[in-house]
Amino acid sequence: MPTMFAAAGVDDLVKTGGSCRVSADVKPRFKPGAKVLVRNINPVSHTRLPQYVRGKRGVIQHDHGVFVFPDTNAVLNGEKPQHVYSVMFSARDLWGAEAPEKDKLYIDLFDDYMDPIP
Amino acid sequence: MNGIHDLGGRHGMGPIDIDPGQPIFRADWERRMFGMFILAFAGGHFNIDQFRAAIELMHPAEYLESDYYEHWLHSLEAWCKANGSLTEQEIEDRVQKLAKGDA
Amino acid sequence: MSDKHVHKHDHQPSDISLRVKAVESLLVEKGLLDPAAIDKLVDAYENKIGPHNGARVVAHAWADTAYKKRLLTDGTAAIAELGFTGIQGEDMVVVENTPEVHNMVVCTLCSCYPWPTLGLPPNWYKAAPYRSRAVIDPRGVLKEFGVNISESKEVRVWDSNAELRYLVLPQRPEGSDGLDEAALANLVTRDSMIGVGLANTPGAKK
Repeated sequence: MPTMFAAAGVDDLVKTGGSCRVSADVKPRFKPGAKVLVRNINPVSHTRLPQYVRGKRGVIQHDHGVFVFPDTNAVLNGEKPQHVYSVMFSARDLWGAEAPEKDKLYIDLFDDYMDPIP
Repeated sequence: MNGIHDLGGRHGMGPIDIDPGQPIFRADWERRMFGMFILAFAGGHFNIDQFRAAIELMHPAEYLESDYYEHWLHSLEAWCKANGSLTEQEIEDRVQKLAKGDA
Repeated sequence: MSDKHVHKHDHQPSDISLRVKAVESLLVEKGLLDPAAIDKLVDAYENKIGPHNGARVVAHAWADTAYKKRLLTDGTAAIAELGFTGIQGEDMVVVENTPEVHNMVVCTLCSCYPWPTLGLPPNWYKAAPYRSRAVIDPRGVLKEFGVNISESKEVRVWDSNAELRYLVLPQRPEGSDGLDEAALANLVTRDSMIGVGLANTPGAKK
C-alpha cells in the first residue's frame, strides 16, 4: 500500500533520485559496432520502442549497461533487467532518400527490441 | 502501445510555440500537480513505467489538447483509483464543495 | 504566433485548478500526502535547480580539458563532481558539439529531460510539435529556433526514450579566450544545452 512521503525526506530525494540501473549479472546480446534489425513489435501495453524505428536497421554505438525493462515493469511483470544500447540510425534509413545525407538519429534500445544482422 | 503519445515522425502537429521567458510553472495548480506526482511516486503509488503507461491510455484528442500537467493528473487519478486511495465520486464531490467555497 | 486550433483548456482553467485542489486535499486528509513536501519540491525546482547548473558544467569543461574528457566518458560521475545529482539525472550522457557534428535532444514519447543540470523543461519541449518534428526534420526545427546548420555538418538527434538523460556540450564560442569560468558560464544558454541553440558570443546581445 502507498505511504506518505514526508517533507523531511525531500532534500535527500531531490539529490539522490532513483536510478533504474540494476546491478544484475546479465550478458549483453550485442557489442558496439554490431548491426541490428529492430523488431517489429506492436504491444498494446507499454513499450519504449517508438514506431518510427521498428523494422529499421541500425548500428550499436555503446552499451549503457543493465537497466529495468519498462515493458514488463509497467505491468508488474518483473524488472527483467537487460542491457540498453545507444543505437545509431541514418536519417535516410528512417525517413527516405529526401533526408539530409549526413544526419543521424541515436536512440536507446533494450536487448529485447533488436535482432542481430549477420 | 501504438498510441498518440508515440509522436516521432508525425506531421501536422503545428508550429513550435517557443514562448521565451515562460515561467517554470504557469499556474499554481501546475506547482501542486508537479509536487503530487513526485510524492506519489516516492510513496509507492506506482513505478515510473506504470505512471507513463497510464498517461498513454488517455483519449488521443484529450492527450493532444490538454496542458502537459493534466497528463500527470490523469495518471495520478487512475492509479489512486486503482489502488483504492480515491474514487471518482469523492473527487467530484470535493470539486463541487470547492466550487461553492465550502471546503 | 498563430493558434489554428482552440485549446480545450482555454475554456476551463478553473476546472483543472479545482480538480487538482480536490485531489490534493483528499490525499492530504487521508494521510497519503504531505503538503509541506509539495512546497519544498516546488521551491527546489522553481528557485534552486535550473540551467545555471548545466552552464557551470559546460564552463568547467571548456576551461579544463581533463574534466571535459571525464565528462564525455562518464557524464554521471563528472557532473556529480560539481554536485548536480538527483531526480532525472541519475544516468547522464554528455554529447559534444564539434565542427563536424551538431547535437539535439528530444524525448518523442514523453518529456524526459536532465533535471539536475537544466531544471524542468520548457513547455515546447514537452509538446507535440517539437516531439514529432525533432526526429524527422531537425534542421527545420533548428531554423525555427534561429539556428542554421550547414549541409556539410551532421545533425545528430538523440531520442531519450530510456532512462539515460542527455546534455549537449555546446562549442566554445569565438572570442571567449581568457574568460574565467563564471564569465564562460554566462555565455551558455539552456537552449544550447538542449541543442536548439548555440552558446552566446561574448558581448553579443540576446
